[in-house]
Parts: sequence; structure tokens; C-alpha cells
Amino acid sequence: MRNQSKTIKTESYKAYKFKQKIIPYLFLTPNLLIFGIFIILPALIGVYYSFHDVELLHMDELTFVGFQNYINLFKDKEFTSALLHTILLVILTVPLIYVISLSLALLIVKPLRAKGLFRASYYWPVMISALVVGVIWYFIVNGSSSMFNSFWTRIGFAESDTLGDPIFAWATVIIAIVWSRAGYYMIIFMAALLSIPVSLYEAADVDGATKWQKFWGVTYPSLRASRVMVMILVVMEIFKTYPIIVQLTAGGPNDSTMFVVQKIYETAFVDGAKEIGYASAMSIILLIFVTIISAVNFAANKGGTD
Amino acid sequence: MKRKVRWPSYLIAILIVVFFLWPVLYVIFSSFKTLNEISSPNPTFFPDQWTLQSYIDVFQKANFLRYIGNSFFVAVSSTALAVVINTMAGYALSKFRFKGDKIILIIILSTIMLPLEVIMVPIYRVLTFFGMTDTYAALIIPAAATPTGIFLMRQYLVTIPDDLIESARIDGASEWKIFTRIIVPNAKAAIATLAIFSFMWRWNDYIWPLIAITDMNKYTMQLAIANLNGEFSMDYNGILASATISMVPMLFVFLIFQRQFVQGTAQTGMKG
Repeated sequence: MRNQSKTIKTESYKAYKFKQKIIPYLFLTPNLLIFGIFIILPALIGVYYSFHDVELLHMDELTFVGFQNYINLFKDKEFTSALLHTILLVILTVPLIYVISLSLALLIVKPLRAKGLFRASYYWPVMISALVVGVIWYFIVNGSSSMFNSFWTRIGFAESDTLGDPIFAWATVIIAIVWSRAGYYMIIFMAALLSIPVSLYEAADVDGATKWQKFWGVTYPSLRASRVMVMILVVMEIFKTYPIIVQLTAGGPNDSTMFVVQKIYETAFVDGAKEIGYASAMSIILLIFVTIISAVNFAANKGGTD
Repeated sequence: MKRKVRWPSYLIAILIVVFFLWPVLYVIFSSFKTLNEISSPNPTFFPDQWTLQSYIDVFQKANFLRYIGNSFFVAVSSTALAVVINTMAGYALSKFRFKGDKIILIIILSTIMLPLEVIMVPIYRVLTFFGMTDTYAALIIPAAATPTGIFLMRQYLVTIPDDLIESARIDGASEWKIFTRIIVPNAKAAIATLAIFSFMWRWNDYIWPLIAITDMNKYTMQLAIANLNGEFSMDYNGILASATISMVPMLFVFLIFQRQFVQGTAQTGMKG
């Protein structure tokens, strides 16, 4: 230590200053390298590919096709239906997760006994991989030996071919998603609820506000930042839906639960000529949708700041 | 503010516990049933006849021990790397002022908006360019740099007093020494949070292995589970057993580190 302090003192001020300038970049280098190579570069390649005709097995033979991939996409029934399915899934699932996670948060901030136990059980499914969540719900709903069918026939209905029926399959996918993710967003809302100053509620009490009035007058407005946050995170997450359906519906029946990410994956790595240029165009469309919806959400809530 | 909680709240809270827990428990118990019992039209919650046959199948028909090992190796290595490089980046972004600091932070955070699923096709191109397909490196290195991790570390390190760092500098400590002797010990809580989240992400990840790995010997558990009914022609009870093997370690990790999970979710979720 002593030796080093001497060197610092004899080191010129300029050299020291220079070192201080370089050091933060050195600390950032490993991360920036990985980001550059595995995120930024692929993103650029993706844009580039989307204007070319390229196949997976001949990745270096590119033919420039301009906007042809995009034009073809919108004529491609399989893609447009996957896109519509994804948008429908967002419309159906996002409000459910939003309302349920907020309700759960409101429940667990009450001074319940064994509060920690309730919180832990609601959060538990968050720890399970999406793929395994699919396995779990497949097992619960599908086939004549499933819990669901045993219940369904007992209350008087005919046995359902659950995952062979688009409506039931959709319901299962939505329940599985909500079941596995609500606990996560509950925690975000919980943290926000706990940070609302008690004095606001005391003031409302003085004014004789009812519970309902307190919720809409104090709680809900105070949650604005986290509401925007949750909304954006959930929308992004639902747009990416794929692993959960791998073992659940595999996109079926008849592609009725086929979402965009599965379509991208299959176009690029499974189907026919493995057209990665075409698949890249799909990715860009997906990205545009995610960005627009997040931006609208952000703007509509004035950035989520007070 | 002491309000009494009435019994309907408890009733609702308990019913919700049942909704969240029974699917998991049902699958775990069912993994100990015989194949006959699983396909019987009168399912019960607990096995009539306990058996380990599904687990024996999983280890014999598919090389599941290997997949558990792969998952564990990838999750631990990637987590170790993530902790080191994200703490370093968090330090640079919280305790230094330099040209481009704001821009770098914004670029890193905006990659949250660029999910892996969107760039999986060109990532495959990059992996082949570096000869990284079918390597563990492809599962370990790219995933270690997470914007959420950097953000978490940065938010935490901002709270370490500058005086601590300044006085070490005056004592002539090198920057690396300041990092290892002052920053790291003071950031233990955040590092623990990052480590358990990173372990969970890697353990549960499906998309990265799906893109990077085709060699069965390098399959992670998630990849193996996805292929059990195809490649390994496994019966459904085998799939239940493998699902259980995948879930149970995470559930223990959760029971031990519950506080970190709750705080980590609250922090990163709040600010994204």
C-alpha cells in the first residue's frame, strides 16, 4: 500500500486524469462486447436479412429483394393469422393479469396473519419454467383421464377434447399464462402500494371517504408509475409467448394457438427451405408492434412520472 | 392504522393459495403414480400405489442425469460470469462520470425492448460465425450480460458513499483493488439478488438452448423435456417426473431466498 501511494504522488496529474478517464470504459468492456456482438449486431443483421432472400443452409447467398418479404408477409395467411392470434392474446391476457395482480397485491398488503405465506404461494409459480407450466396444464386439462374432464363430466357435460377444441385450448393457454405470471406483477404492485404515504389515507379518513373512494382517489392514482411499468412489461411478455405452448398445445389445434414467435422459429429453423430472410421480416414486424404499443402506453400515461 | 381483517379476506386468500399450489402438487404427486393410474378415468390427487418407475424411465430412456448436469453447469457458470461483469458495469455506470455514460446506460436499458425472441434468427448467424453452435459457451456467455442485471447493480451501487472510494484512492489503491475490496463487499445484497435471479433464468431458459444446441449430449433439461415425447418416445408419466425434477430445485431455492426474490422483483420491476 505504502509503495503504491508513493507512485501515485510521483505520477503526473495528467497521467492520473487520463487513467481515470479510461477506467470506466475498461469496467464496461465485457458487457459492451457481449451486447455488441450478441444483441446489437444481430439486430442489425436482422434488419439486413429482412430485405433479402436467404436460407438457413446457404446463409451467405443473399439476394436483395427490397420490401418483397414484407409484402409477401401480409399476403401470407399463416403469418397474418399468427399475428392476429398474438394481438388477440394480448387483448385477452393483459387486462386479466393486470387486474388479478393488482387485486392480489391489495389483498396481501392487508395486515393478514401469515401474510408471508400467502405472498409466497402466489409467487411460487413464477419460479417454474414456461415449458414446465405447459406440461402442468396439459396434464390437468387434456384427455379423458385428466382432472378437468373428471370434473367436467361429473357436473354433467360430455367429455371435452380440451386441447383439440380451439375455445378450450385458448382458455387453457390464458389460464396457464395468468397462473404463472400474476404473482410476479403482484410483487411490483405490492412494493408500490407499500410506498404510498399513510398520511394520504389519514387525510381521506378525515374527509370521511369510503373504501371505494379511497381506492379511486388515493390508491389508484398513486400507482400510476407502476401501472405503466406493469402494462409495458406484460405486453412485451405476451408478445413473446412461445415456450409455454410447446408442451401445451404446440400451436394447435389447426394452428389456432400459433403465435408469432413460434411462426418465426418454424419458418427459420423447421419448415421447408428455412427462409431466414422471410423470418427476419416477421421479427421486425413483431418488434414494431411491441415498440408502438409500449410507446402509446407510455405516452398515454405521460411517462408514468408524477 | 390498525384495521381488523375479517374472515372473508382469509377465506379468499386461502382459496387463491389452493389455485396457485394444487397444480404443482398434483403434478409432483402424479409423478409417483403408475402409468395405469395416470391413464385411469378417475384421477385422484394422491397416488394409490407409490412407484418410482417414472423416474427410472427418465434416467434410463433419456440420459437425464447428463441434462441435469448440463443445466446445472450452464446456470452456475453463466451466473458467475453475470455477477462479475454486471457488477463491473454497474460500478462504472454509478461511480464514474465519463463521455457517453448516459448514452451507454440508455442503450443498455433499451435492449430490454429487444427480446431474444425477436433476434433469434440473426443470433444463430452470429453463433455459427464464431463456431459457437453446440457449445456450452453459447449458453453461458451471451446470456450473462443482462440489462436488468446491470440496472439492478447500478441502482444499488449508487448508494455506496463516494467517500469510501475516494479515501481508498488517496491511499493509492488501484481501481481493481477498490472494486474487489470495497465495491464487491459492500454490494453483497445486490449480488445475491442478481445471482439467484440469474440462476433461475438460466435454469428455466428454453429459447437460448433451442437456438444454440442440436447435439443431444449438450441438451439442457428444458430442451430435453421439450423433446421427451418426440425423440425419446417417453410416456407421459416420464414427462411428469422430468417436470418435477426441473421444478423442485427452484422451489427450494425460492424457499431459501424468498426475500431476495421479492425485493429483486420489486426493484427491477419498478424501474425496469
